[in-house]
Amino acid sequence: MSSTRRTRLRNSLAVKVIFSTVVLSLVLFGIVGSALYNKFSDGILNVKLDSSIAETRSAVFNAQYRFSFVGNSKQAVIGSIVKDIVANSATISATVNGREIALLRSGGLAQGKIDYQSTSNLVDPTVIPKELRNRVRKSLGTEWALTTITYASGNRIPGLAVGQTITIPTVGRYEMYLIFSLVNQNATLDLVRTYLLIAGIFLLFLIGLITWLVVRQVVKPVQDAARIAEKFTTGDFDQRMPIENNDEIASLGTSFNDMASSLQTQILRLENLSLVQQRFVSDVSHELRTPLTTLRMASDVVHSARNNFDPSVARSAELLAAQIDRFDRLLEDLLEVSRFDAGVAVLESAKFDISELIERCIADLSLVAKERGAEIDFSSTGHAVIIEADSRRVERILRNLINNAIEYSDSKPVQVKIVESQGTIAVGVRDHGIGLEAEAAFRVFDRFWRADPSRARVRGGTGLGLSIALEDARLHNGELEAWGRPGKGAHFVLTLPREAGQQIESRLIRLEPLDYYSTES
Amino acid sequence: MTLVMVVDDDQDLLEQLGIVLTGEGFDVDLVARGDEVIEVFRNNPPDLVLLDVMLPGIDGIEVCRLIRLESMVPIVMLSAKGDTQDVVLGLEAGADDYMVKPFKHTSELIARIKTRLRRTNVGSLGKLNLADLAMDLVAHQITRQGKAIQLTRLEFELLVALAKEPGRVFSRDELLSEVWGYQHSTDTRLVNVHVQRLRAKIEKDPENPLIVVTVRGVGYKAGATGAS
Repeated sequence: MSSTRRTRLRNSLAVKVIFSTVVLSLVLFGIVGSALYNKFSDGILNVKLDSSIAETRSAVFNAQYRFSFVGNSKQAVIGSIVKDIVANSATISATVNGREIALLRSGGLAQGKIDYQSTSNLVDPTVIPKELRNRVRKSLGTEWALTTITYASGNRIPGLAVGQTITIPTVGRYEMYLIFSLVNQNATLDLVRTYLLIAGIFLLFLIGLITWLVVRQVVKPVQDAARIAEKFTTGDFDQRMPIENNDEIASLGTSFNDMASSLQTQILRLENLSLVQQRFVSDVSHELRTPLTTLRMASDVVHSARNNFDPSVARSAELLAAQIDRFDRLLEDLLEVSRFDAGVAVLESAKFDISELIERCIADLSLVAKERGAEIDFSSTGHAVIIEADSRRVERILRNLINNAIEYSDSKPVQVKIVESQGTIAVGVRDHGIGLEAEAAFRVFDRFWRADPSRARVRGGTGLGLSIALEDARLHNGELEAWGRPGKGAHFVLTLPREAGQQIESRLIRLEPLDYYSTES
Repeated sequence: MTLVMVVDDDQDLLEQLGIVLTGEGFDVDLVARGDEVIEVFRNNPPDLVLLDVMLPGIDGIEVCRLIRLESMVPIVMLSAKGDTQDVVLGLEAGADDYMVKPFKHTSELIARIKTRLRRTNVGSLGKLNLADLAMDLVAHQITRQGKAIQLTRLEFELLVALAKEPGRVFSRDELLSEVWGYQHSTDTRLVNVHVQRLRAKIEKDPENPLIVVTVRGVGYKAGATGAS
């Protein structure tokens, strides 16, 4: 729960910030890097170009100079000069740093003339782009273009072609091209590019790292705040955010702490209030006991002497005694309820025979049952049903259920049954009397609840009996449920685990009584 | 006449208790403060003390302890709390029985007082031996190798009840009925606390009792008997 929340927080902030920073940096690096690279490559190329053009000029000038002395000499002389020029201008063999020369004829080959077109090192003449040749032909000076040198061997290297026209006596205009290898320049540029890339990646990584650190500075306090707020939510009201600086995070912390203090005060006040209330109920009940004791004893003295009084005074003495009994029960129940509310009710579990307990409750209530004309029918298992529970509480529940069944029985029989399984014991108390509304079955356990406000409560009842019974059942990890229909009686089912501290495994007695359906159909 | 000392801080209840007990034929000494009890007690030793827990001066539990230091008189605690802790504290301080206010019936209180005052019906038995203990039921005395052991009347009766039928296992409910006179009370704390106190006085090693033996899940029995 908390780890996913933290992950989500990191996702939403840190990752977002880092991602956008890195992407923006990448774009920026792309622009700056390519601009830098272009400047570099331009610079390197320009240096090479300047020297290449100068070299070409001097080579062409030299060649032209040598041709100018030839005059109209024999073709062989011219041929040897051409050969010499080509051989001298070019490096001996095709190397990466080499310089090649191409002597190309400008016009068509006239009849009977010797073609002096030649290239060094068997360089393919098509290496010179047509576009460059056109420019060279039209121009008086040197022209240049980038190209790829293709050797007859198939070797291809980047190159720079610089050309100028040259006039060879007797044969006419030729173009002389010097082709310079750019391998070195390209290598330098490659190196520059590699360095730029490495620097870029390194910087990008650094920026990512810095961003992460910065974001952490912001996110960590936020994470801490979230964690502290979470702890606060789970009830640890002493949690506060540490405030170390004077920054925005600190002001967030201050606000949070103020809120926490305010909440804590409120909660404590409410807790206190409810504690005071519980204490009050408990204290009132206790304080009432001493005067009630005196009252009871005084009433007993008066009651035992009632035969000497007027009939009305004698009856008053009886009513007084009865009301003191009722008051006493109410007080007892109130105290019990206040114990449940304060969470101080404790189970005193021991093993006993619940079947025998039921029989004893029925025996104790048989007088009341006879008075009401209700017969109690107990279908026991025929053997002892040993349960580990608080016998005082279980007896209180059973007595209450059976007594209620008798009171509302409408002089019809009351059925009590017990069912057991390995780990669970259930007791059902069924009457066929006036019953109750289906919705009321949920409310019978409410304190001081009356099915019909105009109807009198069971004589002497406190209105707390069933609510205490339910609390008693729950204290055992058990369950107490009610069912009822007007005129069809009621059914109460108590389900308890056989051993203290265990859970009930299943409902052994169906809450809707089977006889209800059989009488319906 | 039997003298009952009643200690309660509530003047009205004290007066009413006085009226009821006098009506039952008892003499009464009424005391309203905890710190006055010992003085009155020494001047006019009662046959039974009815003692409230909450008292001004010294609380009832402490008063109970002080009385026990000099007397084995039956003490019945009156408690307005009825919570486990108070009851157990009172019993451990030496009270024989307790009653929770308000009493269901005044007659219940009278019955308790009378039970605590009655003499054990020893029948034909005059003397009993249990292990190395010699009990004189008439003189209400118990000796070990000639040395007297001081027991409260209740502790004595508890021991006699077990010793009269050596080997028989008594359930706590049976003991409650036999010794305390309860019909069916499930408050077994009374029995447990008093057995502990009895063991502390008669057992050589109360942690490993040989005379009053626990039978797990059932109750207690008298062990190591050499009945005469």
